Amino acid sequence: MLEQLITNYVVDTAGVDASIFRNPDVKVSELGMDSLGLVEMLFEVEDRFGFQIDDPMRFQSMTFREMVSDIEKQVREHCNGEIPDIESLDLKPEVE
Amino acid sequence: MSRVWLTGLGMISPLGANCQSSFDAALRGESAVRAAPDELNEGLPGLLMARVEDEAFPDLGKQYAGMDRAVRLALVAVAQAMDDASIAVSPDNGDRFGVFVGIGFGGAQTLDSMYTRSFSRQHAQNRRRATVVHPLSVPRMMANATAAAVSMHYGLRGTSNTYSVACASSAVAAGEAMRAIRNGYLDAAVVVGTEAMLTRGSMVAWNALRVMAKPFPADVSASCRPFDRERSGFVLGEGAAAMVLESRECALRRKVSGRAELAGYGSSSDAHHLTAPSAHGQVAAMRRALTDAELEAGQIQYLNAHGTATETGDVIETESVSEVFGAAAGRLAVSSTKAVHGHLIGAAGTLELALSVLAMESGSIPPTAHLHDVDPRCTLDYVPLHPRHDCRIDAVMSNSFAFGGSNASLIARRIAV
Repeated sequence: MLEQLITNYVVDTAGVDASIFRNPDVKVSELGMDSLGLVEMLFEVEDRFGFQIDDPMRFQSMTFREMVSDIEKQVREHCNGEIPDIESLDLKPEVE
Repeated sequence: MSRVWLTGLGMISPLGANCQSSFDAALRGESAVRAAPDELNEGLPGLLMARVEDEAFPDLGKQYAGMDRAVRLALVAVAQAMDDASIAVSPDNGDRFGVFVGIGFGGAQTLDSMYTRSFSRQHAQNRRRATVVHPLSVPRMMANATAAAVSMHYGLRGTSNTYSVACASSAVAAGEAMRAIRNGYLDAAVVVGTEAMLTRGSMVAWNALRVMAKPFPADVSASCRPFDRERSGFVLGEGAAAMVLESRECALRRKVSGRAELAGYGSSSDAHHLTAPSAHGQVAAMRRALTDAELEAGQIQYLNAHGTATETGDVIETESVSEVFGAAAGRLAVSSTKAVHGHLIGAAGTLELALSVLAMESGSIPPTAHLHDVDPRCTLDYVPLHPRHDCRIDAVMSNSFAFGGSNASLIARRIAV
């Protein structure tokens, strides 16, 4: 679910070509997002789960999958070991 | 020194989605003033405002979805003005093409929603931390966010300046852009005034200042009544108005015709009072604009007044216009279109100059709406209630007088053939 959320953001909002995800080992740095783009992407997760992800720049040296599992780990730490279901927990982003 | 031509106009206002629809509504005296929606007037009964209708506001796409409302309004107006001037993205002279923005309260909507969100989370016992806000909150609320967006979108790499001079912001932006082109620093510039501060936070502040109009009992939309005995203050509006300015040589090279010449700009500071106007400062701004345009007062046929419908403002502006125009004041048509579009603060200068140019082009002068009972201290011809058609207008003046005592007057004239 988290992977889908992040992938959707990368493709729909950041405008990255979806075909790049055919490579399962694609690196975060290969997505062509600058540092602002990266923190905007992380905000998709932060906004829903209500905490700030540590040290975003370290993701630049990870693969996309490694980044997703790292984020998952952090979400679990903040949510009693679970990944809350976005739909059922009313964790949609707030309208600004 | 180059003459400066106005080659494109654009507008999104409470009156309409573009220049023509806004101007037509102004001519009809059709007011966009309404009661504020419930979420804004809790504890502020009788709050009024002039909003840009949702259906007038085109979707700019996801790229711009999170930007401040003032930035998005500006982008709409600039797109119209650039289109009107037949200028596409990345013009050849991008290095000599500037961006001049006027805005009173940059980032108002971004700041307001950030505070709302942070405070409401602080007091809600859920897992969301009050400190988690959008990472682009700062660059979205900075006053020059509009200039940045316009410059990047169009590839304009000349001077990119933002003027925050309260109610005179975009008049000053237009005047300074004109000077930059006239003096050869730039070939062209897009000028945009924009404002979007109809937020809870700014409305409580404006309400506290006690300058806002009270609802007119017979008709809420007629609550802003410049120069009328029953005036009670102004109504905040929102929107954006843009103009493309270029040197005459640049326009001729591109084989485009100018809609008008931006011929005069005068500015002054009252050095007097934080909010009260001063005839002395206003007179200086208008005289400097006339000198700059090399025109006599009697050569101006229409003046779009600052005309906010505060008692002091109406009376002082009448005094200062009378002093500057002297015997010619009797032949001058003066109207305040704020009666129908509200006070757009930072956007007021370009919006009202644009309406004045449209009046010059069409020969039709928009009235001062709702002016049934003129304050006897207001002695000019305010074009009450009804538009005036078939007028020969060769030059127009637009006044913008700001809190803080900053005054700006602009003059546009027909291009001599």
